[in-house]
Parts: sequence; C-alpha cells; structure tokens
Amino acid sequence: MHPILKHRSRLLLYLAVWVAFGLLLAGVLYFGGKAPAYWSFMFSVPLALLLGLQSLSFWHFVQAMPPGETPVGRMAATWLGAGGVSLAVWLAAAYGWALMLLPEGKTYPPEALGMLPLMIFAGAIGILIAVLGHYLAGAFQRSRTAERMALELQVMAREAELKSLRAQLDPHFLFNSLNSVAALIGNDTAAARQMCFMMAQFFRKSLSLGREQSIALSEEISLVETFLAIEKVRFGDRLRTKFDVAEDVLNVAVPPLMLQPLVENAVHHGVAHLLEGGEVRVTARRRDAFLEIVVENPCDPDRPASRSTGVGLANVRSRVETLCGHRASVDVDAGETNFRVSILLPGDVEKIRATS
Amino acid sequence: MRVLVVDDETLARSIMIEHLSKVPDVEVVGQAANGFEAVKLTEELNPDLIFLDIQMPKLSGFEVLELLAERAPAVIFTTAFDEFALRAFEVHAVDYLLKPVEPARLVAAVERAAERLRNRTPPPSASELSAAARPPGRNLERVLIRHEGRVHVLPLERIDYIEAQDDYLSFASAGKKLRKQQTMSELETQLDGTRFVRIHRSFILNIERLARIDLYGKDSWLAILADGTKLPMSRTGHAKLKELIG
Repeated sequence: MHPILKHRSRLLLYLAVWVAFGLLLAGVLYFGGKAPAYWSFMFSVPLALLLGLQSLSFWHFVQAMPPGETPVGRMAATWLGAGGVSLAVWLAAAYGWALMLLPEGKTYPPEALGMLPLMIFAGAIGILIAVLGHYLAGAFQRSRTAERMALELQVMAREAELKSLRAQLDPHFLFNSLNSVAALIGNDTAAARQMCFMMAQFFRKSLSLGREQSIALSEEISLVETFLAIEKVRFGDRLRTKFDVAEDVLNVAVPPLMLQPLVENAVHHGVAHLLEGGEVRVTARRRDAFLEIVVENPCDPDRPASRSTGVGLANVRSRVETLCGHRASVDVDAGETNFRVSILLPGDVEKIRATS
Repeated sequence: MRVLVVDDETLARSIMIEHLSKVPDVEVVGQAANGFEAVKLTEELNPDLIFLDIQMPKLSGFEVLELLAERAPAVIFTTAFDEFALRAFEVHAVDYLLKPVEPARLVAAVERAAERLRNRTPPPSASELSAAARPPGRNLERVLIRHEGRVHVLPLERIDYIEAQDDYLSFASAGKKLRKQQTMSELETQLDGTRFVRIHRSFILNIERLARIDLYGKDSWLAILADGTKLPMSRTGHAKLKELIG
C-alpha cells in the first residue's frame, strides 16, 4: 500500500506541503500583477492539491523501477511520459477551473494566455519535487525493510542456537549415562573412567562449538562420534555405527550442532525401538558444488509417532535455512523401516555468512 | 521375595541386580531385556515383584503392565527421566525409582512392595496409569492385543473400525479381526475424536476408511467403507460424523 495513504497524519502533512505550494503560486500570480489576491488564492490552492493527489500515482512507478536496478534510459523515458501526461491533465484542469472562476458573462482577456508559460513551469516544478519525494520515501522504506529482515534473521539464528544448546543437555541422555557410569564403577573401573572422560568431552565440545557461527565438518563429526561412543556403552551390541566421510569435505564449513540432533534422533527414535537394534549410518561427500550429508537409520514400523523428532528436525531445518538461505536444503525420507535425512549445503570452505 | 528385573540396557540391569543382592529376603529370579520377554518371564516365573523400565523397544513398561493385567505382580517402575510418567506415578501413588538409583531408596521401595503384597493391594490400573502419563493433548497411538497367545501391536492408522461384542472389542484391520477385553466407552475416551468416531452404540469408525454414507431408513444410515464393508450408523453418530467431515 502507498506509504502516505497508510497513515492519516502522513497524508495531512503531505497535503499541507501542497497547500504551501499553492500559496506560493498564488503569491507569484498576485505579486506578479497577473490577478487580484482573492482570485489568485481561489485559483492556486485547489489546483495545487489536485497536483498533489495526481502525484500519489508516482509511487507505483517508483516501486516498479527501483533506482540502481533500472536502465537510466528506461527510467528517463517513463518519467518524461508520466510527468508529461500528469502535467497535461493538470493544465487542462487549470484551464477549466479558471473558466469556472470567471464572473458570469465575462470572457478571458487576451493577455491571460501570458500565464501559460508560468503555469507550465509551476506544474513541472511541482511534479519534479513529487517524483524526488517519492524516490526518497521509497529508499527510506527499503532501508527500513532491510533492517527489519536483518534483525529477524539474527533473532531466528539466536533462537535456533539456544534451542540446540538446550537439546544438548537432554536430561534423558544425562541421567542414563550417569546410570551406566554407576554400573561400571562396580566391575569395570577403567570403562567407568573412560565413560566419564567421554561425557566431559561431549559436554565441553557442545558448549564451545555452540558459540561458533560455523565450524569445520570434521569437528562436528568428532562430536557425533563421541556422542555415539557414549550411547554404545548404554546400548551395547544393539547400537552399531558406520561413518563414510570423504577426505575432501572435512574442512567444509557447516553450522555447529547440526548433525548431532539428527544422530540423536536416529538413536532414540530409531535404533532404541528395535529389539535387535541397528546401524546408524553417517555419510558426507561432495556433490557438484554442494556438500551432501546423510544420516540414516532403521526404524520400527510400529513405533509410536514421536513429536520430539519433528521438533529436532524443524530446528535443524530452520538453522540451515537461516544460515545458508535458499542455497541449502533438508530432505526427510521417512520410510516404513528406514529413516533418512539428507542435507545439502554450499560446499565452501570459508565461514558461512548469513545471507538473506 | 522373588524379583524380576526388566530393562533394555544391560548395564542398568546389572547395577539393579547388584543393589538388590544386598537387600535381605530378595532373590532375583530373572531378567528381561524387553517388554515381550518381560511378559513371558512373568508368566513363567511368577515373581512377586517386577522392576520395570518405562522406555523400552516395542513395548513400554506401561504396555507390559497392560498386557499382564490381573496377572501382574507388584510393580516398581524405573526411569532416568520422564516428566509425564513421574506425574502419573504421583497421581496414582505408584512406586517408582529414578536412575541412577540410590540404594537406600531401593530398600525402602522393596519394603513398601512387601507391605502391599501382605495386604494384597491390587496392582495399579495400567490403562489409567498410561493415560495419565500421556503428554497433554496426545491420544492413544497403538493398541495392544493378545490373540491366540501372541501379542499384536496395532498402530491406530491400521484399524478400519472397532466393533463391540459382549464384553469384548473386535478390532478390524485389513480383513482380519482381533479381539480384546475392553469396554467401548473406555477406548473411546483414549482415542483422538477427530480420527475415530463412534457412529453407533457398537461401532467406532476410522474416518479415513469412510467411502460414502447411504440413507438406509428413517433416521438410520449406512457407512460404506473403502473395502465395501457396511456399518450401521445411528442418528447421533451421523450428526457427529457430519460435524467432522462437513
């Protein structure tokens, strides 16, 4: 919608400017000796308001031809056309209005035509100011929108980060792991120590990685390996893992804690529901200019539908989208007995920068 | 007291058994790694008390209790963390232990169980307990049925319709019928009312199976299912269905 028509106060201010323009024109007419004071006022002010209303239509052209993105020739031609039409309409109205203001029975004195160049000049100046004003308003609105979008992106990225940090401190994982440690202390102290070490490493790493904006894929893979090593102590033979990560993608930049929630889902909503357990497979390789990461796990066709998988996935999706925009995608293939999430990311080695 | 330990994690079972070995008058007679084994071993060994983990593959602890029904001995639930289950235990005054288990708490729980056995306090109602443990806004997602000695786990989306027969319910799924002892009104409260509609005193319909509705007589209709099955529909049932599908 037109930014001036949106707020009543703006419209009033806009019309006030045009009234001032009309008073100026009236002054020129009166002091230039072209007409008496009352007639000059009655003639100029309504015409100025009319020109103001006509000029509102310029907003459409400003929107359609953003400066900097439109060829100068096309812009000049459009404005000459639009301005010319607008001026002609206004001059015709001025002629008609002047006729209506003439006292009954009188006709134009021959010297009245001398006013035409002045009117053309006044109209052209008015239109020029209106066009420039509309461009200013357009630029202002665009910068405000860009600012708001940048803020929104920041907030979204921040929220996603907080959510994933909270997910790291999954109480179920923590208490079950502590229970495993308690069990191991009785008959395998070396394993108990190893478990404490792995848990410390996992929590430390997720805290430090969570603060980064992007990390090397190798760091994320090592976090996921630690997580799975802890879960293997709990699940024993039921949890099997297979990593297939190509050498040439280890340094690719990825959002931190992106893979970890997916692997956690694969264990808790996939393998954990199978009597005989299963294998969690993590694959990462280059595909054209992209990095493709796949997390796959077998699952129970009778498993209860889980809401938290949805939350975890939505979280990963929103993080990937805020950080990489349309250049990234998250695909989910939820089969009867197999669950597969594949992520495509730009395969750059440099740090990820937020793009809109 | 003869005790059965049920947990899908080997280490969790081993520490529980280790703690129990120090409690006087307790004998661990068996251990089960999943719900199916738990049901089988309970029937074979007839223990006095089960330590039952809640989150297990295939059958949860609640579902094990449901399948055992009146054959269930005294039960102590164990969990690492499950806020909804804990609330359910509090509401129904059921004993539970948090993992890692503190030995003193374990002894106290065993003593309370012995007390309940002496007083012949009946075990908690499985359906009430699992209903209370369901997160708010969530309905039943699968039905457990023991049929000819086997346990069937029937996800709701595979059910075509449910028919009441005497004090049984008959679950129709892909041409097969499985019977379970339960009442229509109890099941109705557990189901998602936007997916399953009681179209008649004796019928609950999965509305995804509905193909069309035929007028049968004054104030009575027939629901025609996608596979051609015809089910009677009462006036109130027809009104409920109309409201849902518009």
